[in-house]
This record gives sequence, structure tokens and C-alpha cells, in this order.
Amino acid sequence: MTQLSIAELSKDLRVAIERLEQKEGLESVGVVVRVGDGVAWVHGLHKAGYSEVLKIETANGVVEAFALNLMEDEIGAVLLGTDSEVSAGDTVRLSGSVLKVPVGPELLGRVVDPLGRPLDGAGPIKTKQFGLVEREAIGVMDRKSVFEPLMTGVMAIDAMFPIGRGQRELIIGDRQTGKTALTIDTMINQGKQKTGVVNVYVAIGQKLSKVARLIDRLKAEGVMDQTIVVATGPSDPASLLYLAPYAATAMGEYFRDNKQHALMIYDDLTKHAVAYRQMSLLLRRPPGREAYPGDVFYLHSRLLERSAKLSDKLGGGSLTALPIIETQAGDISAYIPTNVISITDGQIFLETDLFYQGIRPAISAGLSVSRVGGAAQTKAVKSVSSHLKLGLSQFRELASFAQFGSDLDDATKAQIDRGQRLTELLKQHQYQPASIWEQVASIFAVTNGLFDNVLPAKIKDAQTALLTRLWKDHKPAMQELEKGDKPTDATIKALTDVAKAAAKGFESK
Amino acid sequence: MAVRLSRRKITEYIADSLVAGASEKDIVTSLAAYLIDSRRTSEIELIIRDLDYQLSVRGIVLANVSSAYTLSEETKKAIIAMLKDATGATSIELEEHVTPAVLGGVRIDIPGSQIDGTIARRLNLLTTNNTL
Repeated sequence: MTQLSIAELSKDLRVAIERLEQKEGLESVGVVVRVGDGVAWVHGLHKAGYSEVLKIETANGVVEAFALNLMEDEIGAVLLGTDSEVSAGDTVRLSGSVLKVPVGPELLGRVVDPLGRPLDGAGPIKTKQFGLVEREAIGVMDRKSVFEPLMTGVMAIDAMFPIGRGQRELIIGDRQTGKTALTIDTMINQGKQKTGVVNVYVAIGQKLSKVARLIDRLKAEGVMDQTIVVATGPSDPASLLYLAPYAATAMGEYFRDNKQHALMIYDDLTKHAVAYRQMSLLLRRPPGREAYPGDVFYLHSRLLERSAKLSDKLGGGSLTALPIIETQAGDISAYIPTNVISITDGQIFLETDLFYQGIRPAISAGLSVSRVGGAAQTKAVKSVSSHLKLGLSQFRELASFAQFGSDLDDATKAQIDRGQRLTELLKQHQYQPASIWEQVASIFAVTNGLFDNVLPAKIKDAQTALLTRLWKDHKPAMQELEKGDKPTDATIKALTDVAKAAAKGFESK
Repeated sequence: MAVRLSRRKITEYIADSLVAGASEKDIVTSLAAYLIDSRRTSEIELIIRDLDYQLSVRGIVLANVSSAYTLSEETKKAIIAMLKDATGATSIELEEHVTPAVLGGVRIDIPGSQIDGTIARRLNLLTTNNTL
């Protein structure tokens, strides 16, 4: 076939398709048969696709819904608004696409709902770009191993359970154990360290007062400019709670696909699973364990698979995820926690007991793990924290054992003493993320025994003295250390000398 | 216990029988007996809608035309020609409704599809800031 005939054939084919598609304005329509509990049952619309947006024409305008149950005789569609406006007999039309939300840098600093509608009263979102709420995750060949660190500023995490860009690290714990606080610190650290990472915080059914406080804090810390907040409250329809993490991920993906780095915080996926359970039961889907539907694993796996580190060919952008799961009485073997633990690349477990002992962040060294972050840890932090996790886990075991007697050998005593100091060191005030050099210097001082004579209660004071002196006397060396490279011999000598001097004022003997 | 038949299967069977020339009276009697026996009489409206759709798939279309004023014969003929072209139907029956609420223009409802060129719809779309 000659070149010319192929071109003609192609043209004819396009014309034929256009003619067939334009059927004189004939649109597929269905009718609402019944409606209630946020679900509309629609008759007709034989060509509707899964998750396709339907437009229901009510007396007061158009209400959107998305088709989730495609059955032989009718469609179950979840309404994106209240069901009071929709009534039986209303006409329903296909939109021809799945749900889309506005994406782009215009969303930075804004608070929006899962449909991208502004909630902050700062005017409309001026973007012409839209992202698909449901999108397939990036394939294997388009990914790259996680290798760049995402510094949280929380010493215990960066030293023991490092997180890399593109990783999914679960934050799990009972209520009131500091799960959200950890993520706020991480967001603040992105601003303070000027990492350029965009934060996307998703509040799923969170109290709006809590979301408002969080936004105020982010504004006060100057991080809101690089943050998008997608907020849903407990009174929002389950459909919006269900959509929130997917819509927010679409917003984060924009940055990932444009050679940038974004951090997703899903607060929390337990409420997300509950919202999906509510929707599924109302859609008459068969209930399974704990009345969750059979695809509750897929609900979270397809969401978290979208977080990835892209290959260089695709620009090398990344989307890191910090999903949050709330446990009941520390039970991490419940249905949803085990699901999300198995999906993610590690978990940070926060313990209630530690929290009330004053060890905050209340990270359990034994139950927490980061499966891929080791490759992404900065060399500087790695050089001082290699045995930290093991030492701390052993200390917590020994400490509970040592409560029953005082006859301990010297080695055990030394381990307990070191552990007490480490525990004190890893305590960190909220909203005060530590930079790389601060982490390296502090951990170096304790793990090398330079603070062994400092009273455990005075460790934080000694740390402050150490950091102040280092910044005052060795600023260029500390700035070099901040770059993340392994400390030089000269830096190590400076750290040792200053740590010894700083410890003097706080020694017990 | 007998398997519950879907409305689609029931109406496919009825449409096939009607097209094949079966007696309408016999089919109606059988369907009524089945609906009473299976306690599904409440579904009668939906079954009629489904039957309309199945017949339209088989080339027999009943179109409901709504307009603010009575349509002229020429307009009706033009609508029938347009519907034949758009749906490929062999038989089209128009049922005309004068509905002042549409304000102006014409709305044509055929099973599963609609052409809505009424002013009422345009106003409704304007209310929700949709494009016309």
C-alpha cells in the first residue's frame, strides 16, 4: 500500500468515526428509580462504565454521582452531594469520564474538598489542568529504587527507620499517641530544610476543628505555601470520604509527574475503610470479615501503589506516602492494620505506654521497621546510627527485666545507662524538627559515650549546650555536615571535643 | 427454589416473541401470571421500560415527543426521519405530549436515549453553571 492511500484511509476512517459518534445529539439517559442513604439506583444507562460520573438532573440543578454497582437491571451510584435534592424519576446522563479534580501548582497553599472545590474562602482555583481521581499505578519499568532521603526531622525516625522518597511508611498506633503530630513535624521539616517537597495532607473524616488547628500551625511555621490540604469532616457524605485520598493523590501525582517530589499524608485510612464499608453495605455488596467488603484490600493497595519513585526517563519525580492507621488497644493484628502493614514498605508503631511515660514521639523500636529506607538514609546519619535500633530494643527489654533486681553485671548496667540516655535524647518536642547536623552531633555524642556521665534528666540540656557551641564555634563544619556526607575526621574531632566540654556542666560524678 | 430471572432476560424473551409474531394477549397473560407468582408485580413499570428498550434494539421504537405547543405534521415527519437515521429503527411510533413546562423547543425520549433541545433544560444547566 502506498503512502498516499494510507493517508487517505486514515482520513476517511476519522470522518467515519466522527459521523458515527455524532448521532444528532442523541444522549444515553437513565432514570432514578429510588434514592436514599446517599445512593441512587438508576434504571437504564446500559453503556455506563465503572466509576463513571453520572449527572442527575434535579429540579434545583445537576447533582453528580459515580457508578459503583453495574448490575444487570440497574446501576447503584453514590451521590457526591446530599440525597435530599434527588428524587425518583429524575433524568440521569452519562458524563463520559471518571471523576477529575483540578491539579497544578495553583493548589499550593489551598484547602479544598475532594472535588477540588475551595474551602478556604480564598477564591476559585485558577487551574486549567485536571487529574483523574482513579488512575492506574506506574508500571515496574517506569520505577526506580528508592534512594533519596525524605528527612522527617524526627531523630528517632531519621536515625532508626529512615524514609526514602517514593516509599510508603505506615504510621500506626492507638488514638492520642501522636500520629498526626509526627506527620505535622515532617511537613514542617520540608519547609524548614527547604527540601522543595510538596506536602499533601488528606483529612479523612477528621474533626474540622483539628484540621483548622493544623492549618493554623502550618501557616505559623511558614509551610502552608508548599502544602495542599484536602479536608473532609465527619458530617460529609461517605462518598466524599471515600474519594478524598484518591483525589489528593491525583493532586500529588501532578508534582511527581513533573519532576518534583511530593509527600502524601493520609489521615487516616481506618476512617477511609469505614466510609467504604458504609458505601458498600448501602450498595448491597456482600459483607465479609468485620462487615468490610471483599475488595477492601484493593481499596488501599491501589491507592498506595500510586506512590512511587519514577525512573530518570520519566523525570525522577517521587510521591512518598505516610498513611495513618488507628488501632484499638494496640492491636496491630486487626483486619485493616494487617492489610495496610502488608501493603506498605514499613511501619512506625506508636505505643500508648511510651506516650504516657513521657517518651514522645512514642515510637516502639521493636515493632517499627523501614524496609527500603536504609538505602536512602543520609551517609552522615547512617555513620552514627548503625547500632541505635538494636541497642534501644535491647535496652527496653533489659529495663523491664532490671526492675525486679539490682544485682546486675557491669555490662548490663552500662547498656541500661546508655539506653536511658538514648531514650532521653530521642525525646523531641513537637514542631521542632531537627536538621541533619543536629541529629548527627546529638546521636554521636551519646552513642560514643561522651554523655555517659551526664544525668539522664540533663541529657536534653547537654544536647542544647552541644548544639549551641557547635553552631557558634564550628559553623562551616556543621554546614558541611548538613549536606549529608559522612563526617570527616576533623569534624569528628570537633564533635568529640565540643561534646566533652558541653557534658562538663551536667555531669553527675 | 427457582432462580430469580433478571428483568433483562424476561424482557428479551418477550421482545423476541413479539417480533417473531407471538400473540400479544398470550404474552401479557403469561407475564402477569409470572409476576404474581414470583411476587414481582411492583416491578411492572420497570419491566415496561425494559421492554421498550429491548423492542428499540430490535428496530421498533416508541418515541415520546414533548413540546410547549402542538407540532405540525412536517415537523413530526422530520422527527421520524431523523430518528430512523439516528437509531436505524425500522418502525417508529410518535407519542406527542404538549408540556408547557418545557417552555420552548422539543424533547424526544426514546428508550435509553434522549434528545433534549428544550429551553427548560438549558435553564437548568445554567443553574448549575454547566456549559450549554
